[in-house]
Amino acid sequence: MSAPALELQGLSKRYGEFTALHTVDLTIRPGEIFALLGPNGAGKTTMIGSVCGLVKKSSGSIRVFGKDLDQDPVGPRYDIGLVPQEINFDPFFTVAESLRIQLGFYGRPADEARIDEVLTALNLHAKKDAYTRALSGGMKRRLLIAKALVHKPRLVFLDEPTAGVDVELRRDLWTYVRKLASEGTTIVLTTHYLEEAEELADRVGIINEGRLLMVEEKATLLRRFGERRVIITFEQPQPGLSEAGKRFAARLSEDGRTLTYVERDGCAPSGELLRALYAEGQLISDVETRRSRMEDVLIEILRGRPQQAA
Amino acid sequence: MNVLGMKTLLAKEVRRFMRVPGQTVLSPLISTTLYFIVFGVSMSSRVQTVEGLPYLHFIVPGLVFLGIANNAFLNSSSSLFITKIQGTVVDLLVAPLGPGELMAGFIGGAMVRGLVVGLLTWAVATFFTGFSLEHAGVAVYFLVLSSYVFSVLGLLAAVWAEKFEQINFFPTFVMLPLTFLGGVFYSVRELPAPWNTVSLFNPMVYMVEGLRYGMLGRSIYSPLGGGSILFAVAVVATALTYAVLRSGYKMKA
Repeated sequence: MSAPALELQGLSKRYGEFTALHTVDLTIRPGEIFALLGPNGAGKTTMIGSVCGLVKKSSGSIRVFGKDLDQDPVGPRYDIGLVPQEINFDPFFTVAESLRIQLGFYGRPADEARIDEVLTALNLHAKKDAYTRALSGGMKRRLLIAKALVHKPRLVFLDEPTAGVDVELRRDLWTYVRKLASEGTTIVLTTHYLEEAEELADRVGIINEGRLLMVEEKATLLRRFGERRVIITFEQPQPGLSEAGKRFAARLSEDGRTLTYVERDGCAPSGELLRALYAEGQLISDVETRRSRMEDVLIEILRGRPQQAA
Repeated sequence: MNVLGMKTLLAKEVRRFMRVPGQTVLSPLISTTLYFIVFGVSMSSRVQTVEGLPYLHFIVPGLVFLGIANNAFLNSSSSLFITKIQGTVVDLLVAPLGPGELMAGFIGGAMVRGLVVGLLTWAVATFFTGFSLEHAGVAVYFLVLSSYVFSVLGLLAAVWAEKFEQINFFPTFVMLPLTFLGGVFYSVRELPAPWNTVSLFNPMVYMVEGLRYGMLGRSIYSPLGGGSILFAVAVVATALTYAVLRSGYKMKA
């Protein structure tokens, strides 16, 4: 069995009295897309920085594809790519030169075919020979992504890669991330766009105040914490909540026209409620279902529902 | 050892300063040449010889040293410091570049700039004085090691500095006074007491004198002393910079 792409054991980071990371344990499987979610200041960037050599950890161990960073702090970095949160660029160089330099830093000779491939995938090829200072903000973000990927790292950290960029780049990036993952690249993603995590991630980790609250398969997380609202519209207003409605703890609107049932994991399925309503002879004109999204799940967990998941 | 990474950083550093040659090569060359014209040509009518050398000839090694020291220091210090300020230091820290590779890249680039300016200053001086190289081995030793030492010191300053004011501190308040008081334009032996004794504690004196011996064949002090001081400074500065970069001091959170 291959070694985990990333293994954190008891990882802590303290800044004086302030603890940014509290003994975090986490294993990332090779080839998966892992989304790390949490509010600002939760410790996401500190965790990524500890792995990428930007932050000096206080204690704990970090292994990248089985190699301990304490024993070899440089070697494992050949396999790592990072898209940092803050945009940076070196104004002295063109886009292509920046990528050639990046390849060289990772011990790889200039590879024009690879540079063209990455630039094309990120829709930046037209700017190949432009100086980086002449790029727009979105293009600079694309260049950051290209720099992180050009050396074909096996483990890529995307620290809020689509913050402040247009929909087009977000879609381009999602497509490219899926392609990379299908080729075996491991992706660790932090994002404020929960739609992004929902769209891409295989597993989700939720971190707050430096503590990793939970790690779960995305589908399981949505199932366990998510809910489905079933909104049933009657042909005629109801004078009050029927027996079936009471039994399923549904809620009738003030005008008596709609009945809302919140279906959570472990509750009776909404189909049973519908059957009960038919059995009562209720005439239904419409049934609408609304699934809760990752955003709702995150808010639920940060408000203190993780105990229910344990 | 990431040899290609190291070479890439070195080439990048050279290309960086060659992208703005007016600022990085021409400007210091003009400044140093002006020193030569103002001090040398104007003074040489009144000061015939210093330590048995024509004044114009006497000041050439010091000006070459000045060009090397200033530009080697400025290149490594400004390059790393700006990298920190503009955030591209992330590229260096994430990449598989250890302290040795980072030092070789930054120091190599800075040495090239220091030597280019120093040698061009020398070339300009030969128009006025003619070419003189009495002890080639000694001259090369002092040229190369001076550029190395000030490149390392520049790197160290850039690691330490957090503000532009701090990065200018060392060249303005340490290097400039020590160099000007280091016997570039006069013989320290001719200074009145106690300044002639005070000058003995200025390491620049020995570096300038060493280069003067190599280029002109004459100096107040033996080049062995200057060479040893330069070598000792190089060893200490290298060890300190390596340790600082390895620790991540002011580079990593």
